[in-house]
Amino acid sequence: MAGVRVRELRKEFPGGDPPVVAIEDISFTVDGQEFVSVVGPSGCGKSTLLNILSGIDTATRGQVDITQNGRPARLGYVFQSARLLPWRSVLDNLLFVQPARGPADRERCRRYLDMVRLGHTAGQYPGQLSGGMQQRVGIARAFSIEPDLLLMDEPFSHLDAITARSLRRELHDLWQETRKTVLFVTHDVSEAVELSTRILMLAPGGRLVADLPVRLPFPRDPAADEVALARADLLRRFESLDLLAG
Amino acid sequence: MSRARTLVRDTGERWRRWAWRLAGYAVFLGAWQGVSTFLVEGFVVPPPRAILTEMGGIVASGQVWIHFGATLRTIAIGFAVAYALGAAAGMLMGRSRWWEAFLSDWVLATLTTPGLIFALVAAMIFGLGPAGPVAAVIVTSFSYVAVNVVEGVKAVPHELVDMARAFGRGPAPVVRHIYLPFLAPYLFTAVRYGFSIAWKIATLSEVIVGTAGIGFMMRQKFQEFSMTGFLAWVLLFFAFALFLERVVVQRGMRRVLRWRVTAAVR
Amino acid sequence: MAWVRSPRAARLLSWGCFLAAWQVAVPLLPTDLLPTPSAVAAFMVAELRRDTLAPHTVYASFGLSFQRLGVGLFLAFAAGVPLGLLMGLRRWAEDFLHDFAVAGLAMPSLAWALVAGMWFGFGDLAPVVTVTLAAVPFVVINVAEGARNVPADLLQMSTAYRVGRTAVIRHVILPALMPFFFAALRYGLANAWKGLVLAEVWASTEGAGWVIKFWYDAHRSQGIVGYALFFVLVALLIERVVFGRLSRWVFRWRPARQHDSPDGAGPVTAGASGRA
Repeated sequence: MAGVRVRELRKEFPGGDPPVVAIEDISFTVDGQEFVSVVGPSGCGKSTLLNILSGIDTATRGQVDITQNGRPARLGYVFQSARLLPWRSVLDNLLFVQPARGPADRERCRRYLDMVRLGHTAGQYPGQLSGGMQQRVGIARAFSIEPDLLLMDEPFSHLDAITARSLRRELHDLWQETRKTVLFVTHDVSEAVELSTRILMLAPGGRLVADLPVRLPFPRDPAADEVALARADLLRRFESLDLLAG
Repeated sequence: MSRARTLVRDTGERWRRWAWRLAGYAVFLGAWQGVSTFLVEGFVVPPPRAILTEMGGIVASGQVWIHFGATLRTIAIGFAVAYALGAAAGMLMGRSRWWEAFLSDWVLATLTTPGLIFALVAAMIFGLGPAGPVAAVIVTSFSYVAVNVVEGVKAVPHELVDMARAFGRGPAPVVRHIYLPFLAPYLFTAVRYGFSIAWKIATLSEVIVGTAGIGFMMRQKFQEFSMTGFLAWVLLFFAFALFLERVVVQRGMRRVLRWRVTAAVR
Repeated sequence: MAWVRSPRAARLLSWGCFLAAWQVAVPLLPTDLLPTPSAVAAFMVAELRRDTLAPHTVYASFGLSFQRLGVGLFLAFAAGVPLGLLMGLRRWAEDFLHDFAVAGLAMPSLAWALVAGMWFGFGDLAPVVTVTLAAVPFVVINVAEGARNVPADLLQMSTAYRVGRTAVIRHVILPALMPFFFAALRYGLANAWKGLVLAEVWASTEGAGWVIKFWYDAHRSQGIVGYALFFVLVALLIERVVFGRLSRWVFRWRPARQHDSPDGAGPVTAGASGRA
């Protein structure tokens, strides 16, 4: 599986004086089959980080190295909103990104739609689906190119709590099944604790303040004591950060 | 401190935008001059200077007041009548489905029929003279005004009307404090659209049956095959119409819509 | 009496009132040139049966006008789409061209028609050029608006998935521009059609507009009114049938009841003065 190596990565947005620093010289590595959450409050550069890793944005300086056995890794990206082409059918939306994987393969696309239990919607337009179903199509799209690395940018934050919860479970099952390397951005501490094998804490200004393994067995019940403890611990760490900053 | 920087950058940006804008005018005038000097005869595309001189002549000789006056009178009478009728019809159509069904076919038909038809029919009824253009203006502007007022009436929020009723206010304050403020932008849009249509149909009518007016002069120059004169009149017309619409109407609009502008800025 | 209060009764009543008023008013007007409704109906039936005093049948005249309209609109799109894209994508082009586009929107089509008439004389060229000039500003402004509104999030998504340039153009950019092309066509066509009629009156010897002039000169008012009704019928046909069908097909992906205008930034519609 793919590894991610980020070294001394810095991103500044010109326009302010001094320029606004979105990411301040962070370094980390992610190994194969890990599920790593990047957690932090709004505006701490989480999305910027993913955009740089995916090639949407460029870094001011520093190195990003995402390879799979020496070749550039294949990336899947799940966005905050589904970002489906509204004028193409669900199946065509999956086919649209297939060139990243190789020749378009309808069967593979259908298989991944089935995996998110949306096989019956293949011929429908995204506008005919609910928000939760659209997000599931977005997830199926990311998995359908069989990526080496999966980037996810707060994929459940626009959904209601009940839908988000069932989608989290679905994502976890998919990850258990496929064992993709996942980099998962969220501001929701309990979501991170529930899903990840490791948590990177980002503070405002894009500083990487902690790199914490989560050694709890799966499946994790959000109500269980040890999960609640881990969540409380993480929140305490963020609160102490605020004290230092303020 | 960073705000000061931003201001500096904004002024730089503004300068660049104005430079491009001026470049646009310069290139346009240059191309025009080039075409009339090198490519075609001067009477086909007269040089900008000649048109400016002609415009100056028209203004200086006082002709402009005679003909603009004639056209403006046509528009003023026609548009006042059309506005009163259209606003009344729009109110009726907005508030009652019966009146909407009664009037909507006619409004739609007058919106889609080419203005030429009304100009010609008015010409046949009233013959040469000022009455035909006035009638054509009334019929065409009426629908534009009505359509906008209907939109406005439908946009008045029911909750506010209900709220006023709940506090026991009578119809007069409801009209004054709820209907009018919400209708105001639509009433002004109606003025703008109705007015720009009134200009066009008035000049068109004058081209056909006018004995004076901008359209009448445009026909004269067309028949004399005087491109310079024609363009001079068109540009004067254009400048005047734009001035009335942009400066007079929009300034009035801004004053009446203060509450909305501040809401948008803050 | 309850049925009188229904909208359907109102519609019937309004047609009835209109026809009655027309029939009654004609003898009272200060002219004997106005036709009665029956005279107009008789004229229209005769025209449709190719029985006419004009040099061409109604079919030939409208057919010719449509050809001119088609050629003119094609030219308007050929010139307007590249300009509009440039304006929408490059700030300097927007500053450079904006005032001319707005002035073009506000220019009465009468002026275009007469200028084209003086330049090109009688023939096909003046009407075609009028159509092009009257439609181009609508094309430019709407396409520019569309180019500014191509959804950035979908472009980013395409970048993240390494989708090729042609696929992006075909599956993202063109569909996103579609509503704006549509608005350009609809409003450009409406303005061009008015200009075309005028150009045919003063700078042509055939076509639907010229036939109206023919009836005017021949003092046949039923001809004018009858042709006016033909115009209304054609306009309704284009609006309801052609545009209605086309937009339902092009925008079939939209959830119900949004088939008309693009969401978010609206297309530029009437020619009052462009943007406020």
